[in-house]
Amino acid sequence: MPRFWPRVVPSFVVPASGQQQERATVLGRGGVVKVRDVRHAYGRREVLRGLDLDLRPGVLAGIVGENGAGKSTLLKILSGELRPQRGTVRHGGRFGYCPQDVVVNDALTVRQHLEFFRVARGLPDLRHTAEVMEALRLTEYADERTGALSGGTRQKLNLTLALMHDPQVLLLDEPYQGFDWDTYQRFWDLAARLRDAGRSVLVVSHLAYDAERLDELWRLRGGVLHPATAVPA
Amino acid sequence: MRLYLTAARFDLVEHARNRLAMVLVALFIPAWTSLAHAVIPSRTVTFRLRATGRLLAPAGNQITQITGAINAVTLITGFMMFAVTFSGGRFDRRLAMSGYPRIHLVLAKSTSLALASGIIAAYATAVICTAWSPRQPVQLAAALFCGAMTYGALGVVFGSLLRREVEGMFALVMTSLVDVGLQSPLASGGTESAAVHLLPTYGTMQAATAAGFTGHPLPGDLAAQALWFAGAALLGLLAFHRRTKDALTARRPFRLPWPPGHRPPAPPAARAPSAPR
Repeated sequence: MPRFWPRVVPSFVVPASGQQQERATVLGRGGVVKVRDVRHAYGRREVLRGLDLDLRPGVLAGIVGENGAGKSTLLKILSGELRPQRGTVRHGGRFGYCPQDVVVNDALTVRQHLEFFRVARGLPDLRHTAEVMEALRLTEYADERTGALSGGTRQKLNLTLALMHDPQVLLLDEPYQGFDWDTYQRFWDLAARLRDAGRSVLVVSHLAYDAERLDELWRLRGGVLHPATAVPA
Repeated sequence: MRLYLTAARFDLVEHARNRLAMVLVALFIPAWTSLAHAVIPSRTVTFRLRATGRLLAPAGNQITQITGAINAVTLITGFMMFAVTFSGGRFDRRLAMSGYPRIHLVLAKSTSLALASGIIAAYATAVICTAWSPRQPVQLAAALFCGAMTYGALGVVFGSLLRREVEGMFALVMTSLVDVGLQSPLASGGTESAAVHLLPTYGTMQAATAAGFTGHPLPGDLAAQALWFAGAALLGLLAFHRRTKDALTARRPFRLPWPPGHRPPAPPAARAPSAPR
């Protein structure tokens, strides 16, 4: 059953004229994630200014934006890490969130992390996790302590923890940081497989190098989303 | 139960891998208490123990061992809990947002704190017992345990509120310096100031001193120390709750139950007592 979290919603919001059509395009479809009029500011600096977003099943979408545009703030709000000052966020299914910073426990091994999160998510086994680990070539590090792993391998674990329960919605914040080229390719193959299996995947990045791999691409600018195209690599 | 056991197991693994803390436990406690016994003169120090009102005249090196042990166990547990709280804040949040019940995480942390405090207090008491024979070793261990628990909870509070590691360590050391320094019979000669009652290890100091040199059991002072622990633990719990809160499952913002501008409904008239069944 979808969860709905009502927030303080203004009685009406008049969007800037140039944004009207873009918003209508984003909003006109049903989705497993619905974001309406999300606003957030740090002090006087408004980062999100009435942002709307629909994420549908079976879509691999990307959001790009300059440093400080509010990409991570948006993902934190979507994942529940941060409460928006205004607006609504609705999720239609279980989701996995891969934060920009690697959030692991340096004292535990990879296997201990998997056990900890298996229990947290109430998973009967780690079959799906094993597939993700194999796809990312993480299996061989299962008994290593995360504090001793390289940055890229830690990021693989960071991503695996977000994917291990086969979520319907994936929120990935710069998920391929520190990956070598092969792992980077494998990440996109994995993302495409998940999309083909009906999952919604939202990748946030600072550059749109991989626009051809995405079904939808948005640019976060001025606190709202605009349709975007790739930039040359 | 499985949730609690898993969290407790990994919490203990994390503590065990804090090598500095393990070295401090293994070496610092015996080194410091043995040095205090060997270096401080054994001539008697006279002071009045507040808890009993009696004048005590223990050997200087013995009372220094007790204050030194309090200092050591409180700082070590404070450091251990600060370290795991400071570095594990975001990890705990990720676990909680992945569905781990926060109550199990809190219970696991409390268990590891209690186990660590118990082991360290027993170890420090055993080290003191190798040098001389305190009159009530069990009360001495209990007093050290309560002090260690209190500083462990303070470590959680500092680890949750402070932004840099050095700030937390400084806060712990300075707190301990003021706390033990003001109460130390060697420094204050058993000060008459009532302010010492409020210090974080007042109960521990009274109960431990009485345990060393009198036959008086002091459960009231141990209870006062437990109260200090409860207060610090409550603060730590609030900080943990705030840090691991999921904004998506938060309750709706508070709203008035009636539209603005309308008068609130009148409270119901006094109800008639219900008829007996």
